[in-house]
Amino acid sequence: MSKLDGNLFVLSVLIVLLLAVGGAASGGNYLSIYNLQSMANQVPEIGLLAIGVMLAMCSGNGGIDLSGIALANLSGVASGLVALSIFPVDEAPVLFTITFAGGCLLIGMLGGALNGFLISRFEITPILCTLGTQMAFTGAAVVFSEGRSVMIGSPPALYDLGNGLIFGVPASFLIFLGAALILGGVLRFTPYGMKLMLTGANPKAALFSGFNRDRILITTYALSGLMAGLAGVIIAARNINVKWDYGTSYLLIAILVAVMAGVRPDGGYGRVVNVVLSAITLQLLSSLLNFVGFSNFVRDFAWGALLLCFLAVNRFELVDQFITRFSLGRAARAPKN
Amino acid sequence: MAFKGLKIGLLAATTAAMLAGAQGVAAQEGKSITTVVKISGIPWFDRMKTGVEKYAQEHSDMKIEQVGPATADSAQQLQIVQDLVARGVDALAVVPMDPAILEGVLKRAMDRGIVVVTHEADNQKNTMADVEAFDNAEYGAALNERLAKCMDGKGKWTTFVGSLGSRTHMQWVGAGEENAKKYPDMELVDPNNESFDDAQGTYEKAKEILRKHPDIKGFQTSAGNDVLGVGRAIEEAGLAGKVCLVGTGLPNPSAAYLDSGAITAIGFWDPQKAGMAMNSLATKILAGEEITDGMDLGVDGYHSVSVRPGAGDGVLVVGNGMVLVDKDTYKETLF
Repeated sequence: MSKLDGNLFVLSVLIVLLLAVGGAASGGNYLSIYNLQSMANQVPEIGLLAIGVMLAMCSGNGGIDLSGIALANLSGVASGLVALSIFPVDEAPVLFTITFAGGCLLIGMLGGALNGFLISRFEITPILCTLGTQMAFTGAAVVFSEGRSVMIGSPPALYDLGNGLIFGVPASFLIFLGAALILGGVLRFTPYGMKLMLTGANPKAALFSGFNRDRILITTYALSGLMAGLAGVIIAARNINVKWDYGTSYLLIAILVAVMAGVRPDGGYGRVVNVVLSAITLQLLSSLLNFVGFSNFVRDFAWGALLLCFLAVNRFELVDQFITRFSLGRAARAPKN
Repeated sequence: MAFKGLKIGLLAATTAAMLAGAQGVAAQEGKSITTVVKISGIPWFDRMKTGVEKYAQEHSDMKIEQVGPATADSAQQLQIVQDLVARGVDALAVVPMDPAILEGVLKRAMDRGIVVVTHEADNQKNTMADVEAFDNAEYGAALNERLAKCMDGKGKWTTFVGSLGSRTHMQWVGAGEENAKKYPDMELVDPNNESFDDAQGTYEKAKEILRKHPDIKGFQTSAGNDVLGVGRAIEEAGLAGKVCLVGTGLPNPSAAYLDSGAITAIGFWDPQKAGMAMNSLATKILAGEEITDGMDLGVDGYHSVSVRPGAGDGVLVVGNGMVLVDKDTYKETLF
């Protein structure tokens, strides 16, 4: 390890701190197994969407994905309606679950690929393109469901996905960690990951190096869509019902999580592990505030303050300076981010 | 230990609470009830909070509070409920943003032994009791009766709904039409105009109707902003006091039009009372009381509730909490 990741460090410290404060403030109740499971159960939705935003941001050139939650809802609604029309939930729960989950992932990936296609082929600014597709996805979900919520039901297999425990850990959280691990591996060890970051860091250089920009962008947005589709599966599994207007506030929170994780908004840098920790931090914080009984307006304030702190940490490389100052002998190796 | 019919309002409620406190409701001591509203910081739920706070004062041995998301998003409300379940409150009184989304978490709450009471969600399956302020048909008929009184039982009239898909609004105007049949001289014209709860759009539409039917005598409206739009159109046409307008609305925004006579009367239910009724019901369930038809929740408008089968295993508790006020009386419930 040549350098210390400031965000990783601060996030880890924050998580420990929040757990300690929460435990103290609630007389241990916050650290009860039930609450830890309950919190872990809430992380995946927003975490998956934030990973999607991170991927889009990494691609540079103003990359962002605003269509995440809309696509998650659309995939849940559309796949739910199709699966319900094919299988009776009660008679073939496993088959139903597989069809439903597969449908969600497929729709998510196609929706994401559409974003990538529009952005790469027609050179549409990502923020405008995904804003447009966000509305289109929401609209489609409204039309398919006639504005009502779609009841997916709780067949055993699907219910376990959203609410079950494996060795005491919520299944949805394990799925989230699994997806993050795979994606982190892809970004780190495959040529695609390398090319994505290089394209994001310097699009011009990437172009002259002969990178297939269209393919990289389409893959990236398709992956982002895939994460949204996975979020759609988990939302349906947790809530029994899916609806087009679920989680409208997730849009900005997902971006907040990504930025807190130190993903560079101009592209070229972002680590999945940080996004995971960042999503966990935000969850711990908001659950803590709910536990203590603060107004939810305080939560917005706390999140805002947290975001500003992280921007400061990144901008001024506070962690690095701190470490440099306290380990005199290694001052020469003060890293640059 | 049934509460006898002491119907002297607040005093009665307090006395009853003290009585209840004295008799084996030790089970409730230190118990917590958290009210979760759709969204915090809007007048409707601020008003509800005054009720919850009042109830908290009357029951200082219990932990009673109201929370709600800062943004109108069912996912945010879901998160709050889930955290509260984990925190282990004893009872939840929820006004669901979207009943369907909360089904899962409310079921888990009940599985954990938490008492769940809802409001404004007569289609909620996973609840022990859903409190409704009034019977929708009775409310619609009452609005229409007030309108007929103003119109002297004759003349053209029309109706507005938020949207044709809004179940309660259609029930209200449907009951209104039914009631108007008592007055053969009342003629319904162009009914069920959609307002989409938008005062500006309603204003335009009301102007059109006034042009098309210069002799129209009455409007019955449904969505909260309809009275404002129609009221403005009536006032600008110089017809205040000549054309009758009765509909759902809130006192504060409607005050000016009520004073000028552009709005004849507004109907609503008081969220303050609804908040107290939910908490009162939750307290009773915590104390192990049976929910029975005609029971007294100790809150005005809920002194003799009717109990019906709910959408799921729970019951529907319907009060008589409708409030109908006009120029002379609206100041009594100003919010």
